[in-house]
Amino acid sequence: MSFKPNTVEELQKHVAGLNQSGEKVGAIDLTSLNRVLEHTPEDMTVTVQGGATLAELQAHVRQRGQWLPFDPPSDKLTIAELLNADVSGPRRFGYGTVRDYVIGLTALLADGRVAKSGGKVVKNVAGFDVQKLFIGGQGTLGIIVEVNFKLRPIPDREQFVCKKFGSLTEAKAAIAAVFASPLTPTVFDLCSPATVVLGFDGTNEDMEWQLAQAKALGFSEAGNLNYDTEFWSAKKSVQKFSVLPSRLVETIEQLGKVPFIARAGNGVIYHQGETKSPKPALPVHLLKRVKDVYDPKHIFPEILI
Amino acid sequence: MLSARLREIVGAENVVDGEQELLVYECDAYTLEKNLPTAVVLPRTTEQVAAVAKYCAANKIPIIPRGAGTSLSGSVLAVTGGVMIGLSRMNKILSIDFENRRALVEAGCVNAWVTNAVKPKGLLYAPDPSSQSACTIGGNVAMNSGGPHTLKCGVTTNHVLGFEMVMPDGEIVWLGTTPDGGEDVEGYDLRGAVIGCEGMFGIVTRVLVKLIRAPQGFKTMLGIFESVDDASQAVSDIIAAGIVPAAMEMMDQLITQAVEAAFKFGFPLDAGAVLIVELDGLQAGLDEQAERVMAVCKKNRAREVRLAQSEQERMDLWKSRKRAFGAIGRLSPNFVVQDGVVPRSKLPVIMRFIAECSKKYGLRIPNVFHAGDGNIHPLVLYDERYPDQVKAAIAAGNDILEKCIELGGSATGEHGIGVEKIDFMGKQFTKDDLDAMRALRKVFDPEGNCNPHKMFPGSKRCSDFAPKKQIAA
Repeated sequence: MSFKPNTVEELQKHVAGLNQSGEKVGAIDLTSLNRVLEHTPEDMTVTVQGGATLAELQAHVRQRGQWLPFDPPSDKLTIAELLNADVSGPRRFGYGTVRDYVIGLTALLADGRVAKSGGKVVKNVAGFDVQKLFIGGQGTLGIIVEVNFKLRPIPDREQFVCKKFGSLTEAKAAIAAVFASPLTPTVFDLCSPATVVLGFDGTNEDMEWQLAQAKALGFSEAGNLNYDTEFWSAKKSVQKFSVLPSRLVETIEQLGKVPFIARAGNGVIYHQGETKSPKPALPVHLLKRVKDVYDPKHIFPEILI
Repeated sequence: MLSARLREIVGAENVVDGEQELLVYECDAYTLEKNLPTAVVLPRTTEQVAAVAKYCAANKIPIIPRGAGTSLSGSVLAVTGGVMIGLSRMNKILSIDFENRRALVEAGCVNAWVTNAVKPKGLLYAPDPSSQSACTIGGNVAMNSGGPHTLKCGVTTNHVLGFEMVMPDGEIVWLGTTPDGGEDVEGYDLRGAVIGCEGMFGIVTRVLVKLIRAPQGFKTMLGIFESVDDASQAVSDIIAAGIVPAAMEMMDQLITQAVEAAFKFGFPLDAGAVLIVELDGLQAGLDEQAERVMAVCKKNRAREVRLAQSEQERMDLWKSRKRAFGAIGRLSPNFVVQDGVVPRSKLPVIMRFIAECSKKYGLRIPNVFHAGDGNIHPLVLYDERYPDQVKAAIAAGNDILEKCIELGGSATGEHGIGVEKIDFMGKQFTKDDLDAMRALRKVFDPEGNCNPHKMFPGSKRCSDFAPKKQIAA
């Protein structure tokens, strides 16, 4: 059974107690800590508790024409889960990842203390950027209880186009052509067997121009993001590769004929085959030191690398 | 002994230890506190940096990394002496990968050189601090530097993929994306944790930066307003209208007059404030957005909105903005610039507060700032020959930053804490927040030997730091 705190204070007591005795922290259900604490549309910022789901937060800020322009495989994730896993989606090429939108973060540390870094303004260099450790930190250093985000205005229009190619080699040429063109897609994906998908957003005028340019490159078929939804709903185990964009296609070719989706513009591949990404050299001793400094009794899980 | 060893490591021609020559290194662009380092080394390789760090660690001599020394917060001050490691001779662009839009540069490479090198291929390096023609990429990593165009593009942490760093104990590590690796790196985001560490976690020696496509077109407008209040409201309204300009910069009347005297751009001398709004992106659609911006300005009683008609006019406009600090020399022998941030919607409040401070302390305080980010830059003018003015200038600056924090903002948006703003850390953060930051320092520098006496309350100050000494600053 998981522990479900109603307040941050309850959670603090719980974690501090476990730390005292050196017991592992079990499952924690944060969904009661799900309030949007402050949304200031004119500042384009929002403060939310870690247990709110991305869908809940999006619904809240959408009322004022704003959004968080990231689209992980599921929007049922809580904000804490989203940050722990640092997951992203198709719009990554145009909008970056969650890391680019977090301007402040408050975490409950192993000793039960609550620590904040950053703040609620969009530009801020006071203090060390401790919050970065928690983005992609897999919940191994503490529990994210509150996050400040900067937001974006919802664009007037968004549209997708695609082109199916006979081979990955042909798709590779098309990807290079898009790179070389003045197009500024928000989505720039390649999915199996060999379809390139582009997404654009903006005002009517610049959309018309981009769609015409894309058409000139052969992208005349209407597209959508169903390939992404379908890929993740297959519930197969997924392997991830992150490579130089210029090595994207050759990397995919080496995987054999497996279902995949790839962020062509970023060089990120997700596939349902067996092949695992080679492990790059990491400064493992520093990663260990981070863990030891913030969670000396190792009451939170270990980071998987 | 120290000098002899340093000469062995980096060569005699790369050591500075004569008292006269060391004067160059007694401070950065924050001049209220000064102290000489024991020696300065100007290494040419990462291995030399590592050997110096190792020697200093073994002998418990502080090390202080230094780029171009343009920091405005005293972050490269040798508070208790020590060996300053200047990166100015490691300044090469090592490689440019146009296909993958990245460049590998040495830490001492000047910020503007990167964009200059890739411009012919239609790319640029986004962070553009006003000191970009002098400041270094390594220094930008240390300070997480911004600039006018970070409103849309983000700051250094959003544009640096990875870097090589010499740890304070001399170990050489690579953090973040490697030059031939993918964007995503497993494990904790150590790159992100180091960016903005103000040189306290090690000496960055090589940096892999992200290049972005240069915008196809620009629309740069100059709105002329009767008052700072009206211009501030226009900033809020532009953001609220769902427009994300590339940059939004404001200059008040005093600074406009000084800039006009220096550069003759044609600013009206009687305007309460001028606002530069730059839109960028695809040519198509820019006209429509520019019209919306102009309408918002007019709604807020802009007397006139001028649109730059040529690239030359646009460059002139930016030149006037980026050189505004320099033009202050015409108004006052000395100034101290603050760098607080407020939520954008609080701009009118903080601007009124600054005007009150100006009256209260009897000092002129012109303003030129990144309005779109809520990042103010009040320039408190004083004359160092009058001790009362020095004290008043410091007090006015402090009042303004405290007000920024009270309004939900920050004591610094770009310039960093350094030695200058140490006292504000305890006001902006709790003891627990600060302890979590101290813990991060322990990861990289458990001995606290790298750029010590910065950032945290309770740090040592220069022995002669006193209002009396400041008069001579």
